Amino acid sequence: MEAASLGTKAVPKEEDPTNRRVELLLGALASSILLFIAGMVIFVFLKGFPSFAANGFAWFGAGGNVDEQLANIFNSPADPAEYVYFLRAWPLLWSTFLISATSVAIGIFVSVFTSIFIVEFAPTAVARVLEPVVKFLAAVPSVIYGLIGILVIVPWINDTFITEEMRESVAYVIQLDGSSVIAGVVILTVMICPIMIAIVTDSLRQVPRNWREGALALGVNRFRALRTVSVRAIRPAIVAAAVLASARALGEAIMLSMVTGSIGFAPNPFDGILFFFEPSRPLGATIVDGAEGLSVAPFGQTMYAFAFILIISTAFLSFAGWVARQSLAKYSVGAK
Amino acid sequence: MGVIDEEKASDNGYVPPLRQIQVGGTTEPISVAERIQEPDPLLQQEEVPYFDDTQPEWFEQIMRTESLSISFGDKKAVKEVSLPVNAGEVLALIGPSGCGKTTLLRSLNKLVDLTPTAKREGRILLDGTDTDLYDDTYLRRRVGMLFQQPNPFPMSIFDNIAYGLRERGSKRPRKKELEPLVVDSLKRAGLWSEVKDILNQPALALSGGQQQRLCIARSLAVMPEVLLLDEPCSALDPISTSIIEETIVELKDEIAIVIVTHNLQQAERVADRVAFMYLGDLVEYGVAEQVFNAPQAERTKDYVRGDFG
Repeated sequence: MEAASLGTKAVPKEEDPTNRRVELLLGALASSILLFIAGMVIFVFLKGFPSFAANGFAWFGAGGNVDEQLANIFNSPADPAEYVYFLRAWPLLWSTFLISATSVAIGIFVSVFTSIFIVEFAPTAVARVLEPVVKFLAAVPSVIYGLIGILVIVPWINDTFITEEMRESVAYVIQLDGSSVIAGVVILTVMICPIMIAIVTDSLRQVPRNWREGALALGVNRFRALRTVSVRAIRPAIVAAAVLASARALGEAIMLSMVTGSIGFAPNPFDGILFFFEPSRPLGATIVDGAEGLSVAPFGQTMYAFAFILIISTAFLSFAGWVARQSLAKYSVGAK
Repeated sequence: MGVIDEEKASDNGYVPPLRQIQVGGTTEPISVAERIQEPDPLLQQEEVPYFDDTQPEWFEQIMRTESLSISFGDKKAVKEVSLPVNAGEVLALIGPSGCGKTTLLRSLNKLVDLTPTAKREGRILLDGTDTDLYDDTYLRRRVGMLFQQPNPFPMSIFDNIAYGLRERGSKRPRKKELEPLVVDSLKRAGLWSEVKDILNQPALALSGGQQQRLCIARSLAVMPEVLLLDEPCSALDPISTSIIEETIVELKDEIAIVIVTHNLQQAERVADRVAFMYLGDLVEYGVAEQVFNAPQAERTKDYVRGDFG
């Protein structure tokens, strides 16, 4: 838009009416999408507001069993005056944060190293096969990962890692059956890595050969040159990839609802090794699982409240990513 | 002296001694072609005098290639080139595009080995030792390089100069220890007065000429003994070019310099010795004035007159 209007102003004499029309059309399209998104955020917030209003800041806190609270909301009396809103969403928020952040953190390492391999070390033939495969993997629907997760990974974790003592030690609170945080993290990492690898590989290819040769010519070894020049230069792209992956991780619902046990439990890091095998349920999965109950007004509003948290977190992440890229941009190449 | 027929040079298998010290001028230059017509068989077998001996000063060889060939796949880019690099001098490699001069230059610090298809034959000696015995990183610290395009890293000016010092060992030196070296390098590259107040600014914000001098300073910081310049001024304006040329002339007392250039005037201005290459062959090597004013080989004559290339 901006560029187009500047372009036409640069040539003052007889403006081509087609330019003007295209400009208006594209402008209208762009504005309507922006309006639509803004409208959606406001709509979701207004819909979810009763849940926030009834609980105040305690909404975000811990307290009681979140699954029981949700059941109570679902079983609210029909009279609007007696709607139940009581909710302490902490287990769901913690689960969302825990699973997304861990996956993205692992994903950053995996994707940077994989990209370095593809760009620097893989023989051309291998790279030529790997890259399209990676891009294909990025497009695999999440339900397929969920299916593999629930049929293969979850039973495997259950058989391999979870001992009877572990089961007994927490039997009075939760059941350990392999559906767990670790299953969610592993599969989510596999899911988000392809897109990160694609972004990081593309930007690593954009690093001028000049820079690397310059570093090598100073007697710096190849790995060091890679780390201190190439990877350093693509930091904005790594941030961009991480933001995109976080957005996908935050919003992932189906797969996580299948493999994390779908229990509103906050895994406790102080449980030691057990922590990884405890079930939980992030926000997205909660919305999917609650889909049948949406016709119950207070329950629907609670789901809207979850949706609003997801939207806001994603927006905040994008903004934080933008700020980070700005501060890195003056020393870098690739995504800005 | 000057003329080396590409075939003859390899046929007679002349290998110059490691550190040859010569004094005084003696003979008139005799071209190979002339000598072949000589009836005297003894004279025919005489080795082609390799070094110019008209220079009255002492010189010391710091680097030398011995029948060095480099090929990329089937294509031979450099053919059996034996070339000395003297300390305290500027050696210019000239020749038309694609004559192998850049490949030859890049082989001196083994940068050419990064190309997977490149194959090297022959030896490269640094201070009398085969460079194959050295680690690549060690060799490249002793033989620095400057590229055609200024390539400062996307960091601050200070970090650029300190880069080679910081990343060469396992222990990262502190900024305090690096500072005198950085300042000294910038001074030697003639950039200090321009950047002394903006050492923490991004290096990419400098002008092209300043960037190239920054790259010189960056190379100097690791204390190389030889500096390879690959058409260092081809991306620069005339003023920056002349500043860089001055810097080169000032530096040559401390560091042997090999410069590849397309610009014959530049070669005349900065070089003490000139090597003319054509299609991978070293056609002529000698003192700069002689190569430019009284070239021995036909092709050199054509080239310096501007008939081709």
